[in-house]
Amino acid sequence: MGSVDTVFWMCTAIVTLPLLAFALIMIFTWRKPQLSLAISLVCSTIPLILAWYLFVTIRDVSLAKPLIVQVEWLVSSDIFRVPFGFLLDPVSLLMLAIVATIAWLIQIYSLGYMEGDPGFARYYADLSLFGMSMLSLVTANGLLQLFISWELVGLSSYLLIGFWYEKFSASEAGKKAFVVTRFGDTGFFMGLALLVIYFGTLDINAVNLAGLSKTMPQWLLTTTSLLIFCGVAGKSAQFPIHVWLPDAMEGPTPVSALLHSATMVAAGVYLITRLFPFFAASPTTLTVILVIATITLLLSSTIGLVARDIKQVWAYSTVSQLGFMAMGLAAAGLAGGTMFAGYYHLVTHAGFKALLFLCAGVFIHHFGTNDFFVMSKEGGRHLRVPMITVTIGALALAGIFPFSGFFSKEAVMGVLWHLPSKIWVGLGLFGAFLTAYYTFRVIFVLLFPRPDDHPAWEEYKREEPAGHGHGEEEHGGGLGYQAMCFPLIVLAGITCILGFLMGPLEGYLLGEHHPHDLNYLLLFLAVGAALTGIGLAWKDWGARTAKWQGFIRSFPSLENFFLQKWYMDHFWRWFLNAVIYGTFSKIFTYNDRRVVDGGVDAVAFSCQGGGRLLSFLQTAFLQYNLLFMVLVLAGLGIYLLMGL
Amino acid sequence: MLIFNQLETYLYLALVLFAIGLYGVLSRRNLIAVLISVELMLNAASINFMAFNRFLAPHPAVGQVIALFIMAVAAAEAAIALSIIMAVYRKLKSINAEQAVELRG
Amino acid sequence: MTEHLASFPVLTCMLLSPVVGLLILLFLKENQAFAIRMVSLVAAGVSFGLAIYTFVSYDTALGGLQFVEKYPWVKAFGITYFVGVEGMNAPLLLLTGIVIFTGVLTMWELKERVREYFIFQLALVTGVFGVFMSYDMFFFFLFYEIAVVPMYILILIWGSTRKIYAAMKLTLYLMAGSGLIIPGILLLYSSSGLFTFDMIQLHGVAFAPWIQNLAFVFLLLGFGVLAAVWPFHTWSPVGHVAAPTAVSMLHAGVLMKLGSFAILRVAMYLCPQGFQYWAQFMGLLATVGIVYGVFVGLAQTDLKYVIGYSSVSHMGIVGLGLATGTIDGLNGAVFQMFAHGVMTALFFSAVGYIYDRTHTRDILQLGGMSKIMPVASAFFIVAALCGAGVPGMASFWAELLVLVSAVKVFPVRGLLAIASLVIGALFALRVVQNCFYNDPNPKFAHFEDVSPFLGLPRMILIGFMIFFGLFPQVMLSLIKSSIVPFIQGM
Repeated sequence: MGSVDTVFWMCTAIVTLPLLAFALIMIFTWRKPQLSLAISLVCSTIPLILAWYLFVTIRDVSLAKPLIVQVEWLVSSDIFRVPFGFLLDPVSLLMLAIVATIAWLIQIYSLGYMEGDPGFARYYADLSLFGMSMLSLVTANGLLQLFISWELVGLSSYLLIGFWYEKFSASEAGKKAFVVTRFGDTGFFMGLALLVIYFGTLDINAVNLAGLSKTMPQWLLTTTSLLIFCGVAGKSAQFPIHVWLPDAMEGPTPVSALLHSATMVAAGVYLITRLFPFFAASPTTLTVILVIATITLLLSSTIGLVARDIKQVWAYSTVSQLGFMAMGLAAAGLAGGTMFAGYYHLVTHAGFKALLFLCAGVFIHHFGTNDFFVMSKEGGRHLRVPMITVTIGALALAGIFPFSGFFSKEAVMGVLWHLPSKIWVGLGLFGAFLTAYYTFRVIFVLLFPRPDDHPAWEEYKREEPAGHGHGEEEHGGGLGYQAMCFPLIVLAGITCILGFLMGPLEGYLLGEHHPHDLNYLLLFLAVGAALTGIGLAWKDWGARTAKWQGFIRSFPSLENFFLQKWYMDHFWRWFLNAVIYGTFSKIFTYNDRRVVDGGVDAVAFSCQGGGRLLSFLQTAFLQYNLLFMVLVLAGLGIYLLMGL
Repeated sequence: MLIFNQLETYLYLALVLFAIGLYGVLSRRNLIAVLISVELMLNAASINFMAFNRFLAPHPAVGQVIALFIMAVAAAEAAIALSIIMAVYRKLKSINAEQAVELRG
Repeated sequence: MTEHLASFPVLTCMLLSPVVGLLILLFLKENQAFAIRMVSLVAAGVSFGLAIYTFVSYDTALGGLQFVEKYPWVKAFGITYFVGVEGMNAPLLLLTGIVIFTGVLTMWELKERVREYFIFQLALVTGVFGVFMSYDMFFFFLFYEIAVVPMYILILIWGSTRKIYAAMKLTLYLMAGSGLIIPGILLLYSSSGLFTFDMIQLHGVAFAPWIQNLAFVFLLLGFGVLAAVWPFHTWSPVGHVAAPTAVSMLHAGVLMKLGSFAILRVAMYLCPQGFQYWAQFMGLLATVGIVYGVFVGLAQTDLKYVIGYSSVSHMGIVGLGLATGTIDGLNGAVFQMFAHGVMTALFFSAVGYIYDRTHTRDILQLGGMSKIMPVASAFFIVAALCGAGVPGMASFWAELLVLVSAVKVFPVRGLLAIASLVIGALFALRVVQNCFYNDPNPKFAHFEDVSPFLGLPRMILIGFMIFFGLFPQVMLSLIKSSIVPFIQGM
């Protein structure tokens, strides 16, 4: 490996090239799709190569001994300085490689998906902005730089969700995503402010060391870690601010696939991993995370049971898997373990969830609808590549051997098992059961279409009002289809082999191997939960005799509760309308019009009125005025003379 | 004559002149007459200056300079006032001060 | 403070360039519109160029006052023509240059009474330059008044929407502010016993605490009116709405900064103990302004009202930064003055283009403008994102510095201000969504997008905003070089 300087410049290039592409496209070439595409591709390929080069060549780093390259970015005073730099250790290097790869794949896949869209150039510009911010997020050295990238990720996500901005639902979803994540981010920001004031630095390493050595006062540690978790909850869609993620599926499918499932939403979990020693030092925070993550897991899996939009199903499964990762991390912190299980699930999830979404994209592109029941009228079987790969992804998501999800879920379950209370692992298993069930609900419906006269169609005739953003043209063959299938095959391959890389990966990340004593009871339980889920799905949806009714139908009130998404959207809508607009905004506006401005006007108008009252004195007759003047002067003179 | 060598004589003269002017300004309704009365008051001031200069001031020129100055001012003032009166006449067809009361509150 | 005399009267040239332009305009005829515009542009351009020159060539290592010119004017009262540049006013001179230059370009399409318009605008900007560079309280106040008065005529003649009411309100309000400023200034002048208006000399005087407390509150409220400190802000949204585009730009972009700059330059500089006494109060007003501005803005439907209230909120951040009295806070406050000036100028410039075409600013009527005029909309969206505090723009850094130091000094108020950022985001995106997204209003579908020439001023503004967003240190090292001695002197 070259000198430290070279590393710095390479990292800078990784981060700034996509930004440059964004700027160039937005300023100069936004009317020229082909040129914009070329710029964007060049500016994402070079970072990809550099990222892998760094990943392969930097070998002598570990979590305890990272490679830090930085320069000063902003120095306001001795206590407030912001460095611009990169923290390279196994965690960030691996993530860097993954993000660069996914950001690159997204661009290749979009070639086919976005072909002919009027906003093609803008789309690639936004993707480049996303690439830049995500790459800089994973490599940031200071928490403030991370926060900046974090916000920029939010910005690019806003732009991409609202990409088809003529659609009200899209622009609304973009706004919702930005504002809701900003809600968490303000917590994050407050945490950073407290940290910089009472701890003095935002250097990630220093913060982690303080967590490890307990040099930071406990109140500060707990407060700041809780506040930072607010940011995590926003970005990683944890209860109760998960509501933006399902709506974010309004964006183009490649975006949903790669931003809102694999990379961006993982940023929150990545941040916990990044600051794991810091979080681990506060049991209170960990408990809060564990509880919230568990609620998230159950909430989203239950909503997934009843969703009909294929992207919504994957979106809720993303939310639930993110909750599962956070559970793993929190449990590891509480039980004194390592962050490996959660991080590993993050990595495998990135692969198979991207795969699932991209397959969904192919289906949506082909059938022109998001509703997988409507898709199943034609049946998915003749789209061979996507159908096989989506099944692989689903198996991985359900946690079936030998796909990657099996290993990582097993690892997380193992961590949960170590908690003193077994209730958490029980809930985790229940979540796994639900996940397997709703995943295979989709697969079976797509694989085994019913004949048109099947009684179940009565219920599903009504099509969900979700549409596919751009105009339909002839699909199926051609370069576009192949460009879309290529990433599917790559990702499916990764999903198949990633599980077996668990050992080496752990060695790479932690610098040590933990010999796994296989817990056969847990293994049995987990696989059992998954298989039960699949079996039940087969009974309800797959088998020839299946009635196409979920088992949840037996509990109508519960089903309605899930259909209404636990009323969380209602709650936030009420909060916004009644509290923000209806109360504060209204009262303040009234106050501004009537009290503050009214007061000013009252002063002005009372002056005017007073003037009018006294105006009878103004006769405008010259000589009266003069007389008055003379009398006053004479009076003054006499007064003065008497004084003398 | 002793009486002409006394300051008070001139001051009384100026006082009378000033009082006449003031009376004229306040009582006459004809704007030209008002202007003439103002000139009388200015002259009273001039006489005062000259008198004080003659009897009290150490330097003989100061009062004279101011008297000359007043003449110049009076000339300018007369010119301006006359043109204003002209304007008033054009507008109201009268130079009676009682009629120029458009600014009444 | 060390003073370095200028070898060439840069500042006087900067000040006189608009005056010369104005005098030339007096001799042009109304129908020579192109010549009128060119003269104004050149006059503004010269000032702009000189402002860039002083910004770039100010030597931060040397520090102190540079480019100083000092000529006694009325010796009996101790009035001196005393101008100079230091770290805290260089950015504001640059800001003024940017805004007047882009403002002239923005008003390129003006049809009505072009000559008079530019004459008054140049007069206004002369006053603004004068305030930022004067170190003599008399000239400071004189230029301050010069800046305020042309506003009345500009709004009255070229304005829209309740312009008579707005112009009257604005002028009377600002005059009332001046009514508070004069006693403050004279109190300091007379109690110093030095018979000088020179601020540097007055700074050396240790005023009695009661004088400081009294003078500070007079100056705070008087200048606070112009800085739109809550609750003296109501003239500003009304004024912004009524004013023509470039005047709104100058007004919100620059004129409001006169107030906050004067609080820093005069009130805090001369009455440090008075500042300590009133700091809590200042912080309170500022925080109320920040929170209040965003909430009221949420309920507005006129684009310019929305921007007006966002200005109230952002100027609250300046006030909060000043109230902290820390290096970071003051750095942030000065940075925010610059950043907000550029941002809000861009806001008004973008709205002006749309309003000139559609003749409406009602966000319920507009819609889908991104489809009709993508470039014009992009300008507004960039400004809105800047207003929402997105990183990569200059105002992000400024808000960061202010908020962090505010949390340090006033924890509750600081956290409250941070929390209001959520509403700030909602606020900005609501407008963007309503006006620029969704289906286009067919009524406006035939309008053309911004031509490259008219896009130029907006691009200049965006360029500055992003440049200082990516390289904040360029600005901050300059500001810091004067804030650090400033704090030490307090």
